Amino acid sequence: MVRLAWRNVWRNRRRSLINVAAMGFGLAAIMFGQSMMKSLQGQLIEKATGSFTGHVRIQRRDVDEPKFPDKFMEHPDAAAKLLDADPRVLVWGRRIQLTGLVSAPKMSLGALICAVEPEKEHKLTDMAGYLKEGTYLEGQPKGVVMGRKIANRLDVRLGEKVVLMAQAADGSMGAEVFRVVGIHETGSESFDGQMVWIPLKAMQDLLGRPGQVNQLAAKLKDIDQADAVAADLDLKLGPGNVGALSWRRIDREIIGIQAFQDGLLTIVLGVVFAIVALGILNTQLMSLFERVREIGVLMAIGARPRWIVRLLLVESALLGLVGTVLGMAVGSLLIWHFGRAGLNLPVGNAFKYFLPFPSVIYLRPAWGMHAFACVTVFVVTLLATLPPALRAGRLKPAEALRHV
Amino acid sequence: MSKPAHAHPLVEVRGVEKIYPGGAKVAAVRGVDLTVQRGEFTALAGPSGSGKSTLLNLIGTLDRPTKGEILHDGRAVTKLNADQLADFRLGALGFVFQSYNLIPVLTAVENVEYPLVLRGVGPEERRAAAHEALKWVGLEGFANRRPDLLSGGQQQRVAVARAIVHRPALVLADEPTANLDSKTGAALLDLMGSLNAEHGVTFLFSSHDPAVLSRARRVVHLLDGALTGEEHHSR
Repeated sequence: MVRLAWRNVWRNRRRSLINVAAMGFGLAAIMFGQSMMKSLQGQLIEKATGSFTGHVRIQRRDVDEPKFPDKFMEHPDAAAKLLDADPRVLVWGRRIQLTGLVSAPKMSLGALICAVEPEKEHKLTDMAGYLKEGTYLEGQPKGVVMGRKIANRLDVRLGEKVVLMAQAADGSMGAEVFRVVGIHETGSESFDGQMVWIPLKAMQDLLGRPGQVNQLAAKLKDIDQADAVAADLDLKLGPGNVGALSWRRIDREIIGIQAFQDGLLTIVLGVVFAIVALGILNTQLMSLFERVREIGVLMAIGARPRWIVRLLLVESALLGLVGTVLGMAVGSLLIWHFGRAGLNLPVGNAFKYFLPFPSVIYLRPAWGMHAFACVTVFVVTLLATLPPALRAGRLKPAEALRHV
Repeated sequence: MSKPAHAHPLVEVRGVEKIYPGGAKVAAVRGVDLTVQRGEFTALAGPSGSGKSTLLNLIGTLDRPTKGEILHDGRAVTKLNADQLADFRLGALGFVFQSYNLIPVLTAVENVEYPLVLRGVGPEERRAAAHEALKWVGLEGFANRRPDLLSGGQQQRVAVARAIVHRPALVLADEPTANLDSKTGAALLDLMGSLNAEHGVTFLFSSHDPAVLSRARRVVHLLDGALTGEEHHSR
């Protein structure tokens, strides 16, 4: 049967080639779209967690906005020990993140002050990599690193002094002089125009909160473990007012973007699958119409109706197999090429306001999704053949033999 | 105790009628009674539209009668379902069609062996049987040619080989020489005659050509779907 089916597939070579090409390029387009979307999402997550959020955070549960915790943990040592003890944690650091005022001789501006442990933060985020002038905060107890845009607006340069002000623990305004030791350029308006970085100890002194922090941020060995690690830590922290969150519950807008993109991708996939199905349905109906008499002959010499159905399904499966292999090959080649060369996507600029996001996306294969697409194209091919195949099985031999 | 297989005629057609549905209901076959014994070389004769092909289709279980009963070796086949009919044809019948009806993507030997493929016969055994059948019809040298590289007469001989490869009890041939020139047609009838004489294959074929009919030992005449008589030729 397979031999007959294979020869039947190539009986009308041009039509089969067009079909295989439609299937193959449709599948390649699906794989490319899946990879592009997942790579974009992957880079978005990497940048969001890698430039500030971290993979898991321990902070107060009763904050208004988890992304910007405004309440302090007075005794973070117990939580810190949990992070130290967890083998899944690669590195973690204490932080205070607070809105405040940066004053230069000519101007004052509101800013998000991020107080960090410089030596740990270096491994926790990639912000040090964006430095264009000066150094990071290591060995600079009164140093400040800021973005190019805020520095320009304040009209300050490397080595000049600024005053940082924030509300202290007793309600008064704490103020301290810092020297600009580094200027970064990330390309993001939020990072370059609103954020300044100082050592944690200096911030605790400024606020009159020795030893206190408002978050412990951790980077894991495997980001996919974030939910599990957060859940475990949260359980160990107990029912108090300090809890653990994974990045998914902090960067919720990324999850929203991801859901939107996944929805869009599903619609596009549905359309492509429908096109493939209609193509196959059309081919098989044409093929059936051309071979009614031949099917009559097969029935006359003793082929059962279900054998005829199976023959058409095997033909379709072979066609689907060739199309799927072609699609996998072309799709993999495209992903490999754009994984090396990168794909310049203007959509990257859309995220730049919020994040240091590159406009070039490097495609990575999403094998699970690609396998799903391949199986679906194959199954859709078979399903589309089912109506003509069942119709063929219902043919009456004498009528089929009379068919011209 | 079951009767021996030969206690019944090979084919019994009892009061068979075939009416095609539609606006004007046409009776293609009307009240036909016919018996065919093993080893016969019988022709159905009649002008175009007399019901020859319809009667062959009914006997070949390719169509169902509107009324009446058809028995093969005492077994009423009219009551069988589609699968049972397919199995029956596969075991007991061979067909030769007017326009050869070979599978164009298969070679001569692959066409011939196809009934054996459907029966689940192993590759070596069926290939050997197909070659033997091709030898019987004088085409052993053409086994690997596809139908489009064979003449009409050769294609029809391949069709005969396909019809006999599984040693059926009955071969039904609908106007087997109609698409062949007289010389090739005569050669085909010689072949059918020798298969009948030497290998005992029962043939029931239709024709309206007197030259073809003269080769049959028994000729059954049809007109407007009804039997009008029969004649016997001694050979």
